[in-house]
Amino acid sequence: MGCFLEWLDRNFGIKKPHRRFMYRPIPEGINYFFCLGGVAFTLFIFLFVSGLMLAIYYVPSENGAFASILHIHNDVRFGWLIRSFHKWSANLFILSILLHSIRVFVYKAYRHPRELNWIVGSLTLILTFASGFTGYLLPWDQKAYWATEVGTSMVKTIPVIGSYVCYLLRGGADITEATLIRFYAIHTMYLPLFMCLLLWAHFHLVKQQGVKGGL
Amino acid sequence: MSDNVSYSDRRTFLKKVCKRFSFFGLFSIAGIYFLFAFPKKIRKKKTIYVYACGEEDLPVQGVRQYYIDYTLHGKPVTRKIFIVNTGKEVFALSSICTHLGCLINWYRPENRFLCPCHGGQYDISGNVIEGPPPAPLKRLPLKIKHQKVHIGIKV
Repeated sequence: MGCFLEWLDRNFGIKKPHRRFMYRPIPEGINYFFCLGGVAFTLFIFLFVSGLMLAIYYVPSENGAFASILHIHNDVRFGWLIRSFHKWSANLFILSILLHSIRVFVYKAYRHPRELNWIVGSLTLILTFASGFTGYLLPWDQKAYWATEVGTSMVKTIPVIGSYVCYLLRGGADITEATLIRFYAIHTMYLPLFMCLLLWAHFHLVKQQGVKGGL
Repeated sequence: MSDNVSYSDRRTFLKKVCKRFSFFGLFSIAGIYFLFAFPKKIRKKKTIYVYACGEEDLPVQGVRQYYIDYTLHGKPVTRKIFIVNTGKEVFALSSICTHLGCLINWYRPENRFLCPCHGGQYDISGNVIEGPPPAPLKRLPLKIKHQKVHIGIKV
């Protein structure tokens, strides 16, 4: 396996341009709290892979959604493991992002010149919450239904445009199959795509500005 | 750590260990993925007939509710069902709302089945009158043998 990879790299040459990025020296005065961003990114990869696996069996329809969840949990090999893994990774992902933000806040790393990275990180946090909210509806059970009913009703409190935004979110007046398909598409396609773009920007800025200290 | 182990030796050793571990991890993930994605043969559900009541207990006209007991995966299960006599035919209805699986009730004053969860309403034949249910109530097979009524349940 190792020699195959070496042969691949000799011909493809992916290592060399990334050497500067991969073999950077770690600056002094860093502690384990600086790992929280990396923990969050690892969990994002876990979520991505387990989500890809769940997408094979999940059926986003009114009759099929809950049945497919039961099928994944009871019949599919390792289905219970992958689904639980996705759920727990999601919870820990939000937790680690919050801890990471607290670390950045405490170290005042949101100040110039890193203000753009703070904004990118905040957008990532918002997208994470959106992922959690849209993913919550997908099991299509009582808890999911009512959580979405309450969550989307909150939008109605926005003055003037509230009810229109709620109508847009639900894809109709009530929570129906249209809402489920909408949330499924957002959860599995739109949000991961935007998330990848934001994370790429986040890492690019980290690379450019360094992990710690002034510029 | 002995003195003759140089820094680069330790580094190569650690690198090797990390590599082995990541290969092992990748291969096990690939294995789990293959087992996960490979479709499993699913046991076909078969219908068993469960005793509900004697023939003389059937409703003469209207709806009556029964609780039937059977075992599922070795555990005792009690299930609510309805037997309906419209005057023209007698049939059994499942009490599970087709919307999100709540248990419905028969409401005699309006001659309707009502679902307490999201307001689904069905008529006496199980057809949807109002609310979110996407399909009529499921009819269960009904068999009368030696003056005993049996209901077909899929297990």
